[in-house]
Amino acid sequence: MSDANQHIEAARTAFAEAFSPFDSLDLNGSGLAEAEAKLRELGELKVRHTGKKSALAEAKKMIGRVAPEERSAFGQAVQAAEKEITDLLEKAEAELNEFITAARIERERLDVTIPGRRPRTGHLHPITILRQQIEDIFVSMGYAIEDDREIETDYYNFDALNIPEGHPARESQDTFYTTGGFALRSQTSTVQIRAMERRGVPIRIIAPGKVFRRDTPDMTHVPMFHQIEGLCVDKGITMAHLKGTVTEWLKRLFGEDTVTRFRPSYFPFTEPSAEFDFSCFVCHGSGRVSGEQRAVSSEEGENSERLTAHGSQLTDRCRPCKGSGWIELGGSGMVHPNVLRSCGVDPAVYSGFAFGFGLERMAAMMFNIDDIRHMFENDVRFLEQFT
Amino acid sequence: MNISYNWLKELIEIELSPEETAAALTRVGLAVEGIHPHKDDLILDIDLTSNRPDCLSHLGVARELGVITGRPLKATSGSAAAGDELDAVPFPSVLAPEVVRVDAPELCPRFTARVIRGVKIGPSPQWLVDRLDALGERSINNVADITNYVMLELGQPMHAFDLDKLAEKRIVVRTARAGEKITTLDEVERELDETMLAICDAERPVAVAGVMGGFESGITDATTNVLLEVAYFKRENIRQTSRKLGLATEASYRFERGVDIENLIRASDRATELILELAGGEAADIVDVYPERQPERTVQSADISSAVKRLTGLDVAADECERVLSSLGIERTGEGEYKSPTWRHDIAIEEDLVEEVARHAGYENIKDELPPAFGAGEYQATEVRKRRLRGALVEQGFDEAIAYSFIDVRHDDTFAAVPEFLREGGEEKFVTLKDSVIEGAVRMRPTLIPGLLGALRLNLNHQRRDVKLFEIGKSFAAAGIGELPTERELFTIAVTGGEVHEDRAMPARPLDLYDAKGAVEAALEAAGTAGYEYRPAEVAHLRAGQAGEVVKDGRVVGTFGRLNEEIAANYKFKQPVYVAELDLQTILAEPSEPAVYTPLSRFPSVIRDISFLVPRSLTFAEVRRTALAAGSANLRAVSFVDIFEGKGLADEVRSLTIRLEFRSDERTLTEAEVEAEYGSILSRLKDEHGLEPRS
Ligand SMILES: [Zn+2]
Repeated sequence: MSDANQHIEAARTAFAEAFSPFDSLDLNGSGLAEAEAKLRELGELKVRHTGKKSALAEAKKMIGRVAPEERSAFGQAVQAAEKEITDLLEKAEAELNEFITAARIERERLDVTIPGRRPRTGHLHPITILRQQIEDIFVSMGYAIEDDREIETDYYNFDALNIPEGHPARESQDTFYTTGGFALRSQTSTVQIRAMERRGVPIRIIAPGKVFRRDTPDMTHVPMFHQIEGLCVDKGITMAHLKGTVTEWLKRLFGEDTVTRFRPSYFPFTEPSAEFDFSCFVCHGSGRVSGEQRAVSSEEGENSERLTAHGSQLTDRCRPCKGSGWIELGGSGMVHPNVLRSCGVDPAVYSGFAFGFGLERMAAMMFNIDDIRHMFENDVRFLEQFT
Repeated sequence: MNISYNWLKELIEIELSPEETAAALTRVGLAVEGIHPHKDDLILDIDLTSNRPDCLSHLGVARELGVITGRPLKATSGSAAAGDELDAVPFPSVLAPEVVRVDAPELCPRFTARVIRGVKIGPSPQWLVDRLDALGERSINNVADITNYVMLELGQPMHAFDLDKLAEKRIVVRTARAGEKITTLDEVERELDETMLAICDAERPVAVAGVMGGFESGITDATTNVLLEVAYFKRENIRQTSRKLGLATEASYRFERGVDIENLIRASDRATELILELAGGEAADIVDVYPERQPERTVQSADISSAVKRLTGLDVAADECERVLSSLGIERTGEGEYKSPTWRHDIAIEEDLVEEVARHAGYENIKDELPPAFGAGEYQATEVRKRRLRGALVEQGFDEAIAYSFIDVRHDDTFAAVPEFLREGGEEKFVTLKDSVIEGAVRMRPTLIPGLLGALRLNLNHQRRDVKLFEIGKSFAAAGIGELPTERELFTIAVTGGEVHEDRAMPARPLDLYDAKGAVEAALEAAGTAGYEYRPAEVAHLRAGQAGEVVKDGRVVGTFGRLNEEIAANYKFKQPVYVAELDLQTILAEPSEPAVYTPLSRFPSVIRDISFLVPRSLTFAEVRRTALAAGSANLRAVSFVDIFEGKGLADEVRSLTIRLEFRSDERTLTEAEVEAEYGSILSRLKDEHGLEPRS
């Protein structure tokens, strides 16, 4: 019996000696590799002291050979020793594993604030963005989109639009001519004629396109720009339809509270003629922006100009409308009977309205672009601001 | 046009405040842009449309105001003095060929002259100086100031000559002789040509008709006898002369827009009255050369009220229509007939009458209505596909450019245009502008590439080294003589630098030819087209050996590749630039390819990757074609895996790896079957191109 007990004692002592480095495990300042080595070491230690060939295993085997009356006590002693050893091992193992897991997490920690990986996305030109928006609105209103030639005969650029030879608009030096005697179209109204010739009437079209004027480029002028032309010819069309249509699409673009204003004007191809304005989309017609609105608008890029340099109650002059509350957009009117006639349309039966406006001016105003020449310089710093 | 509020009040009673007056005028189309105080007066700055020269005077603006307020114009002097009598002179008026002879009546339909003797030239009285000053006119002397004053009051420009400086003291109105010279009042010597109308004395021009008087025959302090010219000239001719001489004056501005031919006597009388009052002297009879009275212009309108309703939707009673029209001087002369006033050159048809009524009724009273429903709207046939194409490029990091359609002539023949566009060997192949507003840019672009390269240069100048741009726009080519040029829509890209990631400062890798080509492929695919072949080509603006053409159904529809050294050097590009240009119009003329479904195979594929050393002249396309032509029944695809050159390889070869995919739709292929087909492909590649698989 004492032999057997001695055996247990020996196993215990041997384990205690081997385990001593793990007994009060201090991993402070240890690296991951060090901890992993210790864990391996611990694993070997476990095999040595609890495995099949360990002293403890020997002791277990001895249980059967001990005298029956001592067997129970011996068995309990073996179990106690085994539990003692296993507990110590497991505790150390758990400590090491915990440390290793934590160290691994730390080692693989990622900086989630680094920008995600995505190829740079490009940008449509602001003119394209605006054109597409306006096309979408008019298509939903039942209009067909049209375009046509950019180099035209005088007939389409002038005569058919009731601008006969000798007319001031024609004599003005605004039009580019090719050496072959053709005109770069000076307005998209040319498309009115071509579309009516092609489609006949009734007709409802929108014609976006490039136009050319002999203006030397400066902050507010460019020799090439884009216009959008609208034409509606049918029986019984009146200026009320013109006003209603222009108001409707501007509401769809700038919001339900948009209102329009029509002023008498003159264009050779319309009679009566009108210029149209709409209520400013920043100040909603007031001409002033309050501090709050200004904070918003200046975030969008200095939309307002300060009138008074001091004082706590600042009201600023609204920039897009220059303080008037109105934004002047384009020209319009009832299609001149001579224009209808030149397309073979009887003005006694049909009437129609037309309107047109420049996209660059509109974009410059909407996006607060100070120099219109940027539109055609294709500076990426400019282009990437629009989506 | 500057209008004095005080002066206006002398012509018509005004009960409105200046602000109300401005608003009322703006409402009817005389846009008051500003009201500026000037001493005890207010100056209205009115922006007039070109059809309303009648409002280039206080009388004209007062007339509009009269229609608005319903007040009559006050009686103005000017028909006083000798006027009453002279107005009564039966038409034609006194002809005095010894004083005035008009040799060019088609350019000068009416000419009046009046001699005033014994005047004393001197400074103007303060009221006249002030009034001119308020309107921005400098006082010169009493007679000159009076001519300006009457112009501002009645809208009729006039000119006073020193009678004694006129050879033979007479006037001849004729076209100038070629090379004839005159020194105008601004002391500039000007050369006239035969199209220009000149007011001459017996010998030489003394004024450029309707534009500016001559310096030598002008009024000086020594002048005692004055000849006052008040005339009407053909509008187009004055405009032309003013343009040709580069000389625009208050007079030419009014004459070219049209003055009132029936107002000459009144204007002359008014000026004469003032001259007699302020400078003394004695006026002789007026000489009025008006050989052919201007025909009266009539406008037909059976029912003006319904015409207004029909065109504007406004309900304006017939009485009110008549009131507006007659206040404007548009008199009803008979059943459904109106007389257009001689000062209104813009009233010719019923629609013109409608506008007059409508603008006074107020555009704000026209309702907002939508036209009756018509049908579904539609985009242009190619728009949807173009939007997809644009979208594909934007996704790939391209920014959309729009460049001017006119480019410098120095780009001529540097760039190859898309095929079958420019007419080679003809007379002129390019479209050229007569002149431009940008130095040298008179060529309508046959290609969009120079525009994009210019943009790359600009961006590089701003330290943007990684740039991808595309443009969709028209290019131009000459057609036959007298024919409209050909316009063709192109799609062009230019790329340089590295592959950029959003919010990451350094590019991931340098861009190369395959990035440009990939963009082209993605764009074409997005546009719903397929079946393109890409093959090596020689292209003027591309570097030899790095250039390709895009072929569809045997037709070359575009090119792509690396910009050649010479052009790159011209633009000072230090990094490679790749460009591609495609004939988008031709491409989109084909309908988009419908999707075709292939049933999914139930049997597995067998994959064989194989590498060869290939000479640089042998393309992947050729290798692929040969493999496909080897007659393998179960070969489904030959795809590109990798190409490798450089390290460990001789200069003239590359290592090309391709993938062969074998599959049957009927059964699982056996190893032996695949081996047999694979073997025959290898031997075909060896026979055709001498290729041996690399181990
Ligand atoms: Zn505003």
